[in-house]
Amino acid sequence: MRRLCGAAAAVAVSLGVSAWAEPRPEIELGVGLPRDVSKHGWRIDWLINTTNVFVIGLFATMVVWMLWACFRHGKKHVARPDAGGDRKSIMVTLGIAAAIFFVVDGNLFLNSTLDLERIFWAFGEVDSNPRTVKVEVNAHQWAWDLRYAGEDGTFGTRDDIVAQNDLRVPVHTPVSLQLGSTDVIHAFYLPNLRIKQDVVPGTINRMWFEARRTGTYDIGCAQHCGVGHYKMRGRLTVLSKRAFAQWAREGSVLASRAWDEADTEAHWGWAWKPAK
Amino acid sequence: MGVETGEVRRIELQPIHPPPGSFWRRRVFSTDHKVIARQFLWSGLVFLAIGGLLAMAIRWQWAYPGEAIPLVGRTVLPRSGGVIGPATYTSLFTMHGLIMIFFAITPILIGAFGNFCIPLMIGARDMAFPKLNMLSFWTFLVSQGLIIASFFVPLGPAAAGWTTYPPLSTNAGTPGPGQTLVVLAVFVTGVATIMGSINYVTTVIRFRAPGMTWGRLPLTVWGLWLTAILNVLFVPVLGAGALLLLFDRVLGTSFFLAGAAVPAAGDPVLFQHLFWIFGHPEVYILILPAWGIIGDLLSFFARKPAFWYRGTVIAMCAVTILSAVVYGHHMYQTGMSPLLGVGFEALTLAISVPAIILFLNWLNTIWKGSLRFTTPMLFALGTVFVFGLGGLTGLYLGTFLTDVYLHDTMWVVGHFHLTMAASSFLASFAGIYFWFPKMFGRRMDERLGKVHFWASVVLITLVFSLQLLVGYAGQQRRLWEPYQYTFLQHLYPLNKLTSHLAWALGIGQLVFVWNFFKSVVGGAKAGENPWEVGTLEWSLPSPPPHHNFDVVPLVVRGPHELSGPEVKERLGRDWVGQAEALPEAESAENVPPAAAIIASGA
Repeated sequence: MRRLCGAAAAVAVSLGVSAWAEPRPEIELGVGLPRDVSKHGWRIDWLINTTNVFVIGLFATMVVWMLWACFRHGKKHVARPDAGGDRKSIMVTLGIAAAIFFVVDGNLFLNSTLDLERIFWAFGEVDSNPRTVKVEVNAHQWAWDLRYAGEDGTFGTRDDIVAQNDLRVPVHTPVSLQLGSTDVIHAFYLPNLRIKQDVVPGTINRMWFEARRTGTYDIGCAQHCGVGHYKMRGRLTVLSKRAFAQWAREGSVLASRAWDEADTEAHWGWAWKPAK
Repeated sequence: MGVETGEVRRIELQPIHPPPGSFWRRRVFSTDHKVIARQFLWSGLVFLAIGGLLAMAIRWQWAYPGEAIPLVGRTVLPRSGGVIGPATYTSLFTMHGLIMIFFAITPILIGAFGNFCIPLMIGARDMAFPKLNMLSFWTFLVSQGLIIASFFVPLGPAAAGWTTYPPLSTNAGTPGPGQTLVVLAVFVTGVATIMGSINYVTTVIRFRAPGMTWGRLPLTVWGLWLTAILNVLFVPVLGAGALLLLFDRVLGTSFFLAGAAVPAAGDPVLFQHLFWIFGHPEVYILILPAWGIIGDLLSFFARKPAFWYRGTVIAMCAVTILSAVVYGHHMYQTGMSPLLGVGFEALTLAISVPAIILFLNWLNTIWKGSLRFTTPMLFALGTVFVFGLGGLTGLYLGTFLTDVYLHDTMWVVGHFHLTMAASSFLASFAGIYFWFPKMFGRRMDERLGKVHFWASVVLITLVFSLQLLVGYAGQQRRLWEPYQYTFLQHLYPLNKLTSHLAWALGIGQLVFVWNFFKSVVGGAKAGENPWEVGTLEWSLPSPPPHHNFDVVPLVVRGPHELSGPEVKERLGRDWVGQAEALPEAESAENVPPAAAIIASGA
């Protein structure tokens, strides 16, 4: 039995290796939200799902109300011009409106604000965390250029790892992105991590995430950016911490060796903007 | 209740002019609001068809990517052999959006219904500025000409999305004269809209018949009036944005240019502010007339007064005001400061309150009525249904956190099509079926109308709900080939199904086209008041004479006084005209002889 498990594990590992050689994102199933592989995506999913319940309830109530009126209060029914319009029915209407507003909208506003303030906008906290991996993203028609600070931890030096459309990050580690654009507005979109951020020329925008599952996922452009918008696709690979550390170390060394003073095209990038 | 001095002056402002003699003055360069309304209706319907055909082509690309369009493909796209390439595709969705919003729904809902209904429903003999009204239509026609022209220039028409975000919409992203012509067309149509709206605002304030107090205005007029106010206030902002963009394109300025590719220190997001300060009111510009129309129709065909009329009016006013201060929710993902985001989110969610009140009032209006399922009533009920779905799905987008995921996905497309397209579309048809007898003096075929209704409401709901669904699964907007993405590959069958439903919806509209032309030519003659309702336009012959009212009416009651026991008892019917005196009524309700003399212009 023990041996069998060992063999299965070996097969799994070799499959994993072959998948690693040709990494492709997994196909999604069904028409729900795509699978969530982020630490905090569940907050967005929870808010969406809760609101789904409210919305379906409200819509069903409306439809039943309409159908009831259509079937029961048709031509044969004698119209009651005095039905409603009095003080009491107006008060009931206002009461229902207030109740729906405070419950449904209140839930949305409260959770949205709290989660944004504490999690999604907590750039200061994320950037000051020594474990955080920082990446600069420069969008242009129609690709994502990526830059890691490299071993020295400083952007704009010769050991910066530069990649295109191939974002690699460690699992269970905060990843902080600063995004700029060369030409038009793009939007950096990670459906499996539930986040998205416009990339505006002339400005540096920021976003952060933490993946909780290794694997390969799509990076999309969500803002119409011209003829090639549809193919502005990148790939996010979430590696184990060890694999990422190794990749980063080797990448940094290779980058230093390949450094070309004259290649000014490759020297985009900016000094990391401190969080306000 | 007598006629006050101010009201006498209003009547004196409107002498009866003899109808023009020449064909050109009567039919083409007419200052008659009823003729101008029909001109707007025709031009809007033609562009509705064009915009619709563009949508059918977009759906083709999502169902059969890279395959040639059957039948007409080689004719319209000779160079590619009928295949929609990525560049053509960007033009398709850009022009579809712009045409539908500015050149189809706007002329139908505002140009046609605004012109036709406002003077007739408030008891006026024409608009306050008839010549300006004519100029508004002809300016609008110029803008439609610019749109048509843009299809025939090198590099094709506009391709930067209907929102026209720079830098993509500048020469850096979309070179060629097509985009310039289209931005110019938006500017020119803005000028036309401003002229029309000034007219509507003034007419409603100054030309209401004696006794037509604000509390007795039909809801349709309220909707159109509030829309006109929003247009007067916010279309100029769009005009400024369009003009600055034209400067960037033609004169080489760089208001909206930034980035390494175009070394300039402009601000692309500045355009988004200008665009959405107009753009968010715009969605209410397109829906307020629809709300007004269905508010009236639900009451008319439920044969009972509109529930809490005053509440409906207050809710519509509240939405009008709030619409001006929520535009930031379109820009949550631009990198807006967190404090601004929370502020705009709070204001946006506040719109729920008047919206819920409107819905409850509509539902209460049909409750315990005596519903008559005429074609206009069916379309009004359909509007409530799709707007319910559209409004509720907006909650996710008005909330910052859920918008992070859903922004710029097909969820947004489904949401605004349900609110702006489906609701405006169904309400427009409700209005066309309802006022057609008054416009053309003939009735439309009810049976064909009902076939058209069921085909439209079922298919439109399915098409846009399925768009919501693929958006929920993460599909971005405006993708030529969504299936490039692994996470979207499984959505192909769903997109294909949606396309087939959309084509069925398009084909279903042929029923309307057939019914419309058949009825214009040979429909049964409509009497004065085929729907048996009390608003002023139905006290006139169908179609009304050139000057509308021989005698400016003295309005004595609200628009929805249906099924009142007193009316039933004295008139033997369940409706009473807004200016109709009840027989054996108290003397205060009679038309004072003095008013009648002044009103007839003697």
